Amino acid sequence: MSVFGIERSRSLWHLILAPTIWAIHFCVTYGMTAIWCERAPAASGDLRLWILIVTAVALAMILGVAWRAWRQWDYTDDYDYEHDGPTIEDRREFLGHAGFLLAVVSVIGVIYVALPAAFVGSCG
Amino acid sequence: MRRRTWQRRGASLLLPGLLAGCSGVQSILAPAGTDAAFLSNLFWVMLAGAVVLWFFMNGLMVYVWRVNVGHMSSRKAEALIIGGGIVFPTVVIGVLLSVALNAMPDMRAEGTGTRLKVTGEQWWWRVEYWPEGAEAPIVSANEIVLPANSRSEIGLTADKVIHSFWVPALGGKTDMFPGRETRMSLEPLKPGTYRGQCTEFCGESHAWMAFNTVVLPQDEYDAWLDAQAEPAAAPASESAERGQAVFLSEGCGACHAVRGTAAAGKVGPDLTHLGARTSLAAGTLPMTQDALVRWVRDAKAVKPGAEMPAYDHLTEDELSDLAAYLEGLT
Ligand code: HEC
Ligand SMILES: [Cu+2]
Repeated sequence: MSVFGIERSRSLWHLILAPTIWAIHFCVTYGMTAIWCERAPAASGDLRLWILIVTAVALAMILGVAWRAWRQWDYTDDYDYEHDGPTIEDRREFLGHAGFLLAVVSVIGVIYVALPAAFVGSCG
Repeated sequence: MRRRTWQRRGASLLLPGLLAGCSGVQSILAPAGTDAAFLSNLFWVMLAGAVVLWFFMNGLMVYVWRVNVGHMSSRKAEALIIGGGIVFPTVVIGVLLSVALNAMPDMRAEGTGTRLKVTGEQWWWRVEYWPEGAEAPIVSANEIVLPANSRSEIGLTADKVIHSFWVPALGGKTDMFPGRETRMSLEPLKPGTYRGQCTEFCGESHAWMAFNTVVLPQDEYDAWLDAQAEPAAAPASESAERGQAVFLSEGCGACHAVRGTAAAGKVGPDLTHLGARTSLAAGTLPMTQDALVRWVRDAKAVKPGAEMPAYDHLTEDELSDLAAYLEGLT
């Protein structure tokens, strides 16, 4: 039972981990830009490099989450979307499925958030 | 029957308004500057895309609900949902975002020609031209003049509350904050007169806080700026002379400056070249004698809350003398 308890709480983490990374990435890039442009507007090149690094790290983490959620969903096992039964197996698969989709959204979100830094070169 | 006539009447009322919006002096659909042209192109591309999508989506709906009910394999449906519901919109929005972001540095590029500073007041615009190397600005108000085919740098700020500066035919808009300077640049392409409007609610007469932007060919602009730097013209008629006397004795000069005379107030708009402007009181009235009389007699009746006292104790003769004087300040 306790083994299942851990499993279940872990699988819940998969659900919210990716959007959480997205939210943190948002706060970090925006906060960093605000402070950097106030303190050292001339060094915007370094800022863009840091945004690139932070974004790459966030994407790598989200992809990791996506991979684990994908495994938990276990889609390739039966190729079905049916996991609405009152079983632990179904609950596991449902949370994995939802977590995977949230990870996909988070990847898109993180890329869109970082995109301005790719085009807007300076603080001005 | 009844409904028809109502519909027709509604349409006939609406249509001229809509069409006027397309060709007017204050329309994003009639661009006269580089930035506005980009924005309107973006609008048309997005509109065309939205129309195509609208037909496609509705066509698809008819197809699966009416034409081909229940025959789509789940593989196909899955491909449609993932392809059409996730990949396609992500790519489309990504492309639109990139196009817009890519244009931003150009739009925010620093002006190379004229420099001016515009301050949002209650409810008018203080305008300063700073020619290359100038130590003091050439002060004007309620109208801005820009040279065509050159990017002008515009510094923006506000006096008491937030205003927003927007000339739709020339470019995007930028907010003006008390105690802070924001900036924008505009590159008009076609000489002409374009209307600007305050677009941040700023009090009772917010809607009356407009201005004309006059775009001139470069050489005409240079001549205009030289003339603008000159002090005011002396009254050219007896009526205007009497008007000047009224102006000075009524204390208008406490709030208004007329350079070259004793009037040097800075509270209200600079009137040195008032008569050369295309509108009166920030785009509210035409620049005519009648309008000037109406304005001076009771400014608040024209513009609710206007921070200029009424002069309804003046006689009709005094008012028309004043108007003659003011109109002669070209
Ligand atoms: C207490 C200060 C004050 C006094 C005194 C005053 N005005 Fe004004 N005046 C203003 C302000 C403020 C505005 C701008 C109002 C607005 O547009 O909302 C204005 C606007 C104007 C305008 C329109 C300017 C433009 O750019 O279109 C004219 C013309 C004018 N005043 C003439 C006069 C005359 C003539 C007198 C004297 C008989 C006078 N004013 C006295 C404050 C004053
Ligand atoms: Cu305003």
